[in-house]
Amino acid sequence: MSNNNLVLVFVELAKDNTIMPISLESLNTGKRLADGYGGKLATLIMGRNIGNMTKELRHYGADIVYTVDNPMLEHYQPDCYVMTFKQIYEKVTPEVIIMGDTLTSIDLAPRLAFSFGAGLVTDCVGIIFDSGDVRFIKPVYSSNIMAEFSLASKPYMVTIRSRSSEPACRSDTAKGEIIPFDISLDASLMKTEVIERIEAEDEGPKLANANVVVAGGRGIGGTEGFEQLLDLARVLGGAIGASRPPCDLGWVPSKAQVGQTGTIVGPSVYIAVGISGSTQHIAGISGSKVIVAINRDASANIFKIADFGVVGNYEEVVPAFKDSLKEILGSMDDGGKQ
Amino acid sequence: MNIIVCIKQVPDPEGPSDSFVINTEANRVEPRGIPPVLSLFDENALEAALQIKDADIDNVKITILSIGKRISNAVMLKALAAGADELVKVEDEMFDSGNLDSFCAASALASAIKKIGVYDLILVGRQAADWNAGQVGIGIAHMLGIPAVTLAKKVEIDKDGLFVERVLSSGYERVKVLLPAVVMASNEVGELRYPTVLQRREAKKKPITAWRAEDIGFDGSIERKVVLLRLYTPEIRQGKCEIIEGLSLADAGKNLAKRLREADVI
Repeated sequence: MSNNNLVLVFVELAKDNTIMPISLESLNTGKRLADGYGGKLATLIMGRNIGNMTKELRHYGADIVYTVDNPMLEHYQPDCYVMTFKQIYEKVTPEVIIMGDTLTSIDLAPRLAFSFGAGLVTDCVGIIFDSGDVRFIKPVYSSNIMAEFSLASKPYMVTIRSRSSEPACRSDTAKGEIIPFDISLDASLMKTEVIERIEAEDEGPKLANANVVVAGGRGIGGTEGFEQLLDLARVLGGAIGASRPPCDLGWVPSKAQVGQTGTIVGPSVYIAVGISGSTQHIAGISGSKVIVAINRDASANIFKIADFGVVGNYEEVVPAFKDSLKEILGSMDDGGKQ
Repeated sequence: MNIIVCIKQVPDPEGPSDSFVINTEANRVEPRGIPPVLSLFDENALEAALQIKDADIDNVKITILSIGKRISNAVMLKALAAGADELVKVEDEMFDSGNLDSFCAASALASAIKKIGVYDLILVGRQAADWNAGQVGIGIAHMLGIPAVTLAKKVEIDKDGLFVERVLSSGYERVKVLLPAVVMASNEVGELRYPTVLQRREAKKKPITAWRAEDIGFDGSIERKVVLLRLYTPEIRQGKCEIIEGLSLADAGKNLAKRLREADVI
């Protein structure tokens, strides 16, 4: 389709208007591919009043920053985003389109793929550039198997899993050239209408990009136990997660679910409390750097993949663990080990 | 109101690791010793359909549509027993899961849906439990030329149309869409209800239609856009857990904190 060797990375902003960590990881991956192709790295950002963030994006290694600032793009709406993306795609004809695996791209990426007639690999954990072509790796069958794919035609489309690659670093020099696009959007083409948007209260760090996750399972026994875990998560500045049973039983909101059928996490530390370790749960945490398990059942599956463990009733272990952590982390604040 | 729920039959995703065996020559995964089950998110999709039926039990008909190499009536019985009205299955060698990319799978399902003919709402899970592509629902909508709503946590119908509560990274949005439409259900819908013994017995009498690929005009000539090169077993996390002990469990908790500090984990 094209031979300009352009790699395009779709960048998303978090609620506080900062660049999402997964977008920085996408930029890093994009840079690697663009270098492999000997082509240019472009990034696309869309939204409303995003002038500052467009400028900021110039610092992350992209040669070109395409930007679309339009009130109709303030919130994600499939038809508006597809129309916008499509117009840009037709003008710049990238070889590869990289997006983070986010709630937005879960909706947007397949729409674009079907609209462009392009192949898409979602939830990719590895991208290999090899003798001029690209191969995509993703876990399948509850992460028991890895599958390596190629794509039959350009553009190649991929969404990458959070924390599966390093983020792009900010450089002091702003090298990206800003190219704004003026896109005409026709509201009458919108097939869905948002009646209302209900914002949840901010419950601390997001699971998908949390550095520390404290998660509970059926062994926690109820909502009170989760309060204890929440305290532990606060001490560590981490996010709270859960295996499937506590979500189904209503002890925690279902969005706390970690696993193949919930959020896939990749923190530096995953602390599994009262979690036996079902296959689909383990599939969602195997990207963690260190796994700590606290469980009364020494034969629980979770110990097979954990790095550190305590065998025993969590109600006796966790309070002392938490107090001890508080002490250690507190002494750091007082000028102890940094 | 006619609802079609697309359900994929998959090897039990909870099966132990060694039950997923790679046949290198055929470049496919062959489950050993684990039963086929309904794909999890598809169960959520069926639950969403049943919730709509609960509200208007006499006027809602739910058809299960399943495509695969072989589809077990015993597995699909669970869907019928939970409250679906009939099953349409399309079985063919060429529907082997590893042979179909999302584009082919969506084409096949769209063809089958056209052949069924009557539909107001099509529900599918957000992704299948085996290949996790998460594209087929949007593909079906694209091919049928109807709207799609993803990440549904609740689906309701009233005289003005279809209302979907859609999961956002922080909270949710309430979306209105005109029918016919495709909705992709997420786990937030809730678990599929458990049928009674009586319902299971009654379900055996529900109608089952069996088609082949040729019946839906699918000849497999659609080219794959995503090409599977190879399958391999991932490196398993090193299985050496360091068990931390203490004089008491509280002491063990304390030692755990110390050890994590020592190992530079926290």
